[in-house]
Amino acid sequence: MGTKNIDVSVVIPISERHDDIKKLYSIYADELGNLDKSYEFIFIIDGEFPEAYQELIGLKNDGHPIRIIKFTKNFGESSALTEGFRQARGEAILTLASYIQVEPKELEKLFLAYDEGYELVITRRYPREDPIINKIQSYVYHFLVRKITGAQFKDITSGMRLINKKILSEFDLYGDLHRFIPILAQGKGIRLKEINVKQRVEDTRARYVKPGVYLGRGLDLLTLFFLIKFTVKPLRFFGLIGTTIFLPGIIITCTLGILRVLGLINLANRPLLILGILLIVFGLQLFSIGLIGELIIFTRAKEIAQYRIDEIIE
Amino acid sequence: MTKFSMNTAKPSYKEKDSADPYLSLVIPVHNEEENVRILYDEIRVALNHLKKTFEIIFVDDCSTDATFEILRTINRNNKENYYAIKIIRFTRNFGQTAAMQAGFDYAKGEIIVSLDGDLQNDPQDIPNLLAKINEGYDVVCGWRKNRKDKTITRIIPSKIANWIIGRTTGVYIHDNGCSLKAFRKEVIKSVRLYSDLHRFIPAITTLVGARITEIVVNHRARKFGTTKYGLSRTWRVMSDIITVKMLIHFSDKPIVWFAGFGFFAGIFGLVMALVSLLNMFNGSQTTVYTTSSILFLTLSGSLISWGLLAEYFIKIRKSGHRIDQLNKP
Repeated sequence: MGTKNIDVSVVIPISERHDDIKKLYSIYADELGNLDKSYEFIFIIDGEFPEAYQELIGLKNDGHPIRIIKFTKNFGESSALTEGFRQARGEAILTLASYIQVEPKELEKLFLAYDEGYELVITRRYPREDPIINKIQSYVYHFLVRKITGAQFKDITSGMRLINKKILSEFDLYGDLHRFIPILAQGKGIRLKEINVKQRVEDTRARYVKPGVYLGRGLDLLTLFFLIKFTVKPLRFFGLIGTTIFLPGIIITCTLGILRVLGLINLANRPLLILGILLIVFGLQLFSIGLIGELIIFTRAKEIAQYRIDEIIE
Repeated sequence: MTKFSMNTAKPSYKEKDSADPYLSLVIPVHNEEENVRILYDEIRVALNHLKKTFEIIFVDDCSTDATFEILRTINRNNKENYYAIKIIRFTRNFGQTAAMQAGFDYAKGEIIVSLDGDLQNDPQDIPNLLAKINEGYDVVCGWRKNRKDKTITRIIPSKIANWIIGRTTGVYIHDNGCSLKAFRKEVIKSVRLYSDLHRFIPAITTLVGARITEIVVNHRARKFGTTKYGLSRTWRVMSDIITVKMLIHFSDKPIVWFAGFGFFAGIFGLVMALVSLLNMFNGSQTTVYTTSSILFLTLSGSLISWGLLAEYFIKIRKSGHRIDQLNKP
């Protein structure tokens, strides 16, 4: 590769689920060629996948503009993407899933939106032709995401995204947060657009995931919930829960205390008192956590990006 | 401070770019298309006879109406050279606190005045605010003594909130919610507003040792547009009040606060333990008292630990908030 400018870096994390990589490469590379874009492909092999590795080495030896990054073990897609972003030399970055999701012809639409000035172009596979089981999964997932974040995206799991390199420094991806790039971007005020793209036949096969994955997704949603709602206001969350736990506790304890003072009951055989005190203790602890959170935020207020400027006219 | 005498034709602000203006007006606007032009004209009338250079910073919090276009036109048609117009437009709606902070970040004046973009504040009050600053105050708050809002949903909750804020933070200002305020540059640049903290600007500025006063300002009924607040924010305001109280009284020594509560919890725990011991010698039941005692002692221990943790966070803070006193004459 020379030093000339590259239009697009295509970043593809390869994990357990991947299709024919040669085909994946060739159909998208051909289309990028048709669109007259100069490109490089960056494959991040996230773990031990010797076959994929050999295929990619083969492609590279045939002279294709491919760079291969191999992780020593599975670090997750967010890490793979982050590393890919760091290595990317292109003006724009196109991320793709390691299996063929979207008709390559649709790339043109992404670039059109990109040229209009959108910093992040995300795709929605529409109409969807999925097996019923995946439809249900996807529906439930997006329903929860909508409820939690208020974001109205229809297909946040679609891997095909076109990203302006300039905005990458605004993201800090870890865990499985890459899934929520559109939502995080919206929160930051990045100009983004969702466009409908035609789903590829290869993408409509049934996909089964291990039960543990559901747990992981659930935890991700929880992370997202905090990130979106309470990052800068921890007391609003912990304080609310703390107070709702503390109040019943204080009521129970006071009632028992008054009755004891009036001589109506004996406290020694009242396990209810333990419950009351437990609630008080727990409530106060949650409240304190909220306060410490506020203190941390306050001391780091200078680092919080509070707004994003579109334009300054002087 | 640059001063211009009456007989100079017009002070030339734009020619010498290095000279910062005397005054910066920070005006967050969101969908105020009917108001911005009138506001702009009022500002010119109000500040014309001051003979000072100033800049007007409109922070457009991603308006969806024609506000931005109108501002752009105002900027383009500005031929005067004793004031400048700056427009900052956000990529999405970030809220009033962020808009104000952006305005403060970009303001260059010696004195920075914030006001609402909805015409409820009267620019004619600005010279009075400036006079107070020149008396030696760092922060001058406007007090809308005769508010022109709906009594039930706006004025009464606001009165209660201001009373609570005064009681808890020790900063007695009648009207924390009034946007019309004037600040000495060093003060407002040394605090950082986030979330909804713009309501607590007076209290927050005491963290940097500001001298605060207030003056009665004119308040006018809303002519155009709709008001953007409701009654639904009680919990958020309450939680912010607690936060601000903690920050003001304990941001230097959080351990004192936490350990104080921990001490009380410890006393409770010890009393319970004592009762439990007495019961043991009496031969009556001890389980409930023992368990309660353990719970309280646990609470005591964790509160004290959290106090230490908080202390640690204060110690490792980077160049975050300056809680030191301002250099004063």
